[in-house]
Amino acid sequence: MIEITGLVKKFGELSAVKGLDLSVGPGEIFGFLGPNGAGKTTTVKLITGLLKPTAGTIKVCGFDIAKQTLEAKRVMGLVPDEPFVYPKLTGAEYLRFIGELYGVPLAHQKKRIPELLEMFELSGWSGELVESYSHGMRQKLVLGGILLHEPKVLVLDEPMVGLDPKSARMAKEILTTLAARGTCIFMCTHVLEIAEKLCGRIGIMIKGEMIALGTLEELRGKARGGSDLEDIFLSLTGGQEYSALLKHL
Amino acid sequence: MLSLLLWRRARSLRNRVAFFTPYEWARNSVFGLAGLGLLYGLYCGFLRLLAYLATVPLIGNLLLWKLTSMLMLTTLGMVVISSLLTSLSIIYYSYDLKFLMKVPVSLTTIFIDKSLESIFFSSWMIGLILVPYVLAMMKVNGLGWGFFAAFVVLMAPFLLLAAAVGVAFTVVVLYLFPSSRTRDVIWVMSSLSMTMVYGLVRFSKPERLIRPDALRVVADYLNFLQAPTAPVLPSWWITKALISLSSGQYEAFATYAALLFAAAAVFYGGLVWLAGKLYFQGYSGAQEGPLRRRPVVIEPLPEARWLPGAAGILFWRERVAFFRDVKHWSQIFLILGLIFVYLFSIQRMPTDNADIRRLVSFLNIGTAGFVIAALGLRFTFPSISLEGKSWWVLAAAPVTPREIMRQKLVFSLVPMSTIALILGASANHLLRADAFTAYLSLGSLLVITWAICAMGVGFGALFPMFTVENIHQIESSVGGFVYMAACLFYIGANIMVLSWPMKMHFEELYGRTHAWDSHLMALCAGAWIVVNAFAFTVPWLLGRRALESYEVH
Repeated sequence: MIEITGLVKKFGELSAVKGLDLSVGPGEIFGFLGPNGAGKTTTVKLITGLLKPTAGTIKVCGFDIAKQTLEAKRVMGLVPDEPFVYPKLTGAEYLRFIGELYGVPLAHQKKRIPELLEMFELSGWSGELVESYSHGMRQKLVLGGILLHEPKVLVLDEPMVGLDPKSARMAKEILTTLAARGTCIFMCTHVLEIAEKLCGRIGIMIKGEMIALGTLEELRGKARGGSDLEDIFLSLTGGQEYSALLKHL
Repeated sequence: MLSLLLWRRARSLRNRVAFFTPYEWARNSVFGLAGLGLLYGLYCGFLRLLAYLATVPLIGNLLLWKLTSMLMLTTLGMVVISSLLTSLSIIYYSYDLKFLMKVPVSLTTIFIDKSLESIFFSSWMIGLILVPYVLAMMKVNGLGWGFFAAFVVLMAPFLLLAAAVGVAFTVVVLYLFPSSRTRDVIWVMSSLSMTMVYGLVRFSKPERLIRPDALRVVADYLNFLQAPTAPVLPSWWITKALISLSSGQYEAFATYAALLFAAAAVFYGGLVWLAGKLYFQGYSGAQEGPLRRRPVVIEPLPEARWLPGAAGILFWRERVAFFRDVKHWSQIFLILGLIFVYLFSIQRMPTDNADIRRLVSFLNIGTAGFVIAALGLRFTFPSISLEGKSWWVLAAAPVTPREIMRQKLVFSLVPMSTIALILGASANHLLRADAFTAYLSLGSLLVITWAICAMGVGFGALFPMFTVENIHQIESSVGGFVYMAACLFYIGANIMVLSWPMKMHFEELYGRTHAWDSHLMALCAGAWIVVNAFAFTVPWLLGRRALESYEVH
């Protein structure tokens, strides 16, 4: 469902993504990890058409995002790292806007919007302006928008940030259910526990390059040990150097 | 701790200047020079006015100082109103307040830091406009640079007092009604006051002061001229101090100057003391979002009936959001005031000569076109940038930049065309323009309005600024400058082209046979089509291409 070939993105002299090749299939939850500044969010923006690649191609459900932009966007849903949503719309109006924008039939909207608001415990806030929502509520609203138009490919950048434990648990279950129904999920996260539990395959990126890709077992083998994903991640990304600095605390 | 807060300001300013790119240096130099040019123009205008008033026998000097006292009173009022709006956003809604409230700095220190910022931003521009007036006054009265130095020194407590009144009002109101709803009420009230002040100044017919026949009437009011203008207000104290200094009465000067400084110190000191008790409750309440529950209705969108595709959906969203933003209401009040004042000014023009009426009606294309361009700068040009940080929603959605731009254009066309019709048709009616002139001016004004809307959307897409929070930053950006310059050039080109048929119309009226030259008419029509085709298409296409390749970072 997502086919990335030779993807390069440069910002002036800086290479944010260096020749990425990746394929994510239907029903798969792919975890995309890496330290800050690795190029994860840049990759997400390239997949969703918010940035233009310097080289390489991205196909979503067979549609080239550079050439068949609208077709690709129609089958894709994005949850960005910062859920900025129109402050002067109410929560229900935002969902209505998304429903219309993605061509969801009115009858389906009438049924689904109240359900989604109820599911994310936003029913009591559905008539309030989004400007009065907390970060977590906005995040839930954006997730609700995605579920309304039921994309075949879901791209998420730190989707659990700001969610309360109950909502985070629900979001995880939603992702698992969607994947079971065949939705392709590409997720960036710093929460290794989530990646460990949810993702079938995990990719680790550093300085624009994918340094490891595979299932948790495969990564464990590559890292030569480590009981959990945190150990594996730190082993692969060289994150142990801080130990010396901690002595100064 | 206050010195540390002030240091961060100085440091930020220094860093901003130090990191200017050559392009920014060039741009800021151009804007700086344009500002200086504007001030020089004001100086010339004031000099001409004051020099004229000074020559009026017997009451010349009285007139000068009466005008000064009225100007100071107006300045006082404008700074108070400006301070209402500025203090609200700076003292209660600055982006760095969340940080400042967390660090171990006393509330009083934060308030002083923020109130000084608010006082500066609400008064510097209004104060600066007084500089060319005072320089003109010095030239007319032969006063030295000591007078200017005294003026500068006295302006500090004067502006501080005026702005502190606005700050005090905001602090008390936010304490009594600690809600973000109060912010909306203050916005609307301030805008209404501004519109009223603007209207009152114009409807008081200040042009009578420089007409000799009106001056005879002024002479009858000699007592009025000699009477102080609002003697209990600081505007009179600063005027009296300047009058005393100009006539060598140093004791009186010192008395009024001391009064100004003492009042400023006492008032601002009292304000800081009061804020220590009231600020936090107001700040805390102002952060709460307005809870205005609206019914959840899921019915077909009204706009989708007449605007097919994404444009209808986008139009609906824009309309709903636009009318909920109180900042837009305030602009609408100002526009209504502007229209009234515009038509009042047309009505006040001498209309006893039919040729002059025709000419004014024709030139109204330019002045009304300029008003439309200025409104476009406020509403149409920023409309794409105002998508702000929510731009990702559209950028990731199956909607093209072309559709977004089309919707923005339609959203601007209706109100702008209405305003153009009101300005054009009413002016033609008031001027009793003949049919040819009326149709020519109204028709071309409508076309100009549509082109200006297309240019506004086009340039707005060419220079998008999705990360700025303040609409004024969008208006005063390079893109805004380019848009405005392009509009003025376009309006000028239109007037040049249309002056040919207007000239032939005049010739026909003066009885010239074969006044209508068909070759010249064809050339004129061709030139008009080229000018308008250029205005409609070039910025639009450039903007569309820029928006298509825009990257969301």
